[in-house]
Amino acid sequence: MNMQTIPPLAADAPVVLEMTNISKSFGAVTALVDVSIKLRRGEVLALVGDNGAGKSTLIKILSGFHQPDTGTIVSQGKEVRFASPRDARAQGIETVYQDLALIGDLSVFHNMFLGREYRKRILGLNLLDNRKMRKQAQIYLDTLGISIPSVNSTVDLLSGGQRQCIAVARSIYSSPRILVLDEPLAALGVRESAHVLGLIQNLRQQRQVSVILIVHNYNQIFEVCDRINFLHSGEVALDASTADTSEEELIRIVKSGLGRKAIDAAAAEVRPGIV
Amino acid sequence: MPPIEIAKAGMGAVGVKVPHTMAERLLILLSRYREASIAVVAIVLVVYFQVGSDGGFLSPQFMSVVLRDTGRLGLIAAAEVMLMITGEIDLSLSAIFSIAPYVMALMSVTWGVPLAVGAVVGVLIGVLVGAINGIITVRFRVPSLISTVGMLFFLQGIVVSIYNSQPIVAPVEQPFNAIFGQSLYQPSDALLSWHGVTAFTPFLWAVLIVLALALALNRTTFGLHTIATGSNIIGAREIGVRTDRMKIYNFMIAGGCAAFAGIINTAQFTSADPQAGSPFLTLQAIAAAVIGGTSLLGGSGTVIGALIGAFVVASLNNGLVMIGAQATVSDIYLGAAIIAAMILSIQVDRLRTRRRL
Ligand SMILES: Nc1ncnc2c1ncn2[C@@H]1O[C@H](COP(=O)(O)OP(=O)(O)OP(=O)(O)O)[C@@H](O)[C@H]1O
Ligand SMILES: [Mg+2]
Repeated sequence: MNMQTIPPLAADAPVVLEMTNISKSFGAVTALVDVSIKLRRGEVLALVGDNGAGKSTLIKILSGFHQPDTGTIVSQGKEVRFASPRDARAQGIETVYQDLALIGDLSVFHNMFLGREYRKRILGLNLLDNRKMRKQAQIYLDTLGISIPSVNSTVDLLSGGQRQCIAVARSIYSSPRILVLDEPLAALGVRESAHVLGLIQNLRQQRQVSVILIVHNYNQIFEVCDRINFLHSGEVALDASTADTSEEELIRIVKSGLGRKAIDAAAAEVRPGIV
Repeated sequence: MPPIEIAKAGMGAVGVKVPHTMAERLLILLSRYREASIAVVAIVLVVYFQVGSDGGFLSPQFMSVVLRDTGRLGLIAAAEVMLMITGEIDLSLSAIFSIAPYVMALMSVTWGVPLAVGAVVGVLIGVLVGAINGIITVRFRVPSLISTVGMLFFLQGIVVSIYNSQPIVAPVEQPFNAIFGQSLYQPSDALLSWHGVTAFTPFLWAVLIVLALALALNRTTFGLHTIATGSNIIGAREIGVRTDRMKIYNFMIAGGCAAFAGIINTAQFTSADPQAGSPFLTLQAIAAAVIGGTSLLGGSGTVIGALIGAFVVASLNNGLVMIGAQATVSDIYLGAAIIAAMILSIQVDRLRTRRRL
């Protein structure tokens, strides 16, 4: 369905990111076991899986928030180690976290520029350029078509959907190379979801941004994604292109609760080459 | 299904939630102008004491006493505000208040080190103790309510053991003493003369430092990241704020402020008492911070409010005695004021969090 909305990814699109054999445990809880994912330029990769499958943990490793126990990250052909989210942001990797990472006590425009504030020198002091940030935030939100009462209002006065929009807007402000979105549509209405999905389409087509998208609504996956990785108990159980898979098939696999081995076996029997 | 279009009006439909019920307006006013509401309380108190004392309260002599107390308390209260914004607290500030000037006086009497040099060393000791408090809190994850109590006893133990709890008579070195707290004011002096100004130097220093902290808090990246750390520590970390560092820096600022307050105190009394700062001083400062409108939940606070709060506490302490109350009675009023301020603060915080849902 909707295949016409996804222009096919160029066959020779270069790999912009490769996470290989990533493992991560929190004390006794094993969150990820030898997970490998690959992302190509301009590709939208869907990451799906049950609650607690390790999706957020994986993207928090990519964003520099967690450090992996083992495994490597290769970005733009070079192995990288992200000691903090600053490092990842400096590499052009922007993340919208599941919890949005917005500061309730700060204004919308301060949130937009947190960590990359505009400053100006006044009497030798390095002060915030609030006027510039306010103006830029307003212009930017206007061009994205995001409407909020005021960029001056503190974030805790906004609705859940508005906050989600601000978090998405913040992540794309700096024109990232790689955009990671952890359930960005969870609190959005039908129109707003369509709007964000449209933004993602736009980014990949016009700026060749690569996107990792965590969503639970499979309908939306087939609207915008090129490929699906199904995470199950901390492992990648399925890696398939949306063109080769149907929504029904995906739902069947996810519902079956089967791990990688079972899916591999079944796939080899029915349709060789799916995995 | 039609192709997705990115209409400009795409998200215009998001329910625009402008807060406009009475409670919400009051809440926003209270949280935005917390300094203003406490300033009103302070003015009412002044009028009350001025009338009750037949005009004695606002006399230069009495104001000098009240504002000296305000300065000393206000410095420590502002220090606590910086920490409370990051979600921490420092109960060892009273010990820093004692140890910094003690070292200054000790260096002066044993090695003849000038007081100005000793004062710098004292402030650096305060900053160092703050850094240790901060590192213990963030690296070893000991809640600061506990770790700083340990530091309180530790430092207090050191300072009383040096000379067996004996105060040291500190030498007087002008203009150091006059600049940093000793009053040269006589009733015959004009208020706007140098001698007149020395009646208020502790307060003026506190004003200067509080204004600097207010600037840092509201107009710099440092302030933004301090607020972010206390408001949503996980979110702040996720977006790349160095929350551990922000906490440590604020512990260092707090230690430096407390040391400076102690040095002012010694310059005023020309004596370094190892028990100059009792834990009671820290508690009064925290009370002043809360009365001044700083949230107990972290993420918001006002150092200017803390200074006004310190003025309210100092006025209550001195004013009630002046209008004839027993010294002990002032604690009853102070206690009631603190409880009222805490209830108000919690209510405002709760309204804010409820709005988030
Ligand atoms: N900071 C942490 N400390 C301890 N355990 C954690 C931590 N973060 C995640 N976990 C555990 O790791 C596992 C994977 O969690 P994760 O948040 O990655 O799942 P998820 O796939 O994002 O789930 P959901 O769809 O519910 O968001 C879970 O068992 C979770 O309890
Ligand atoms: Mg998750």
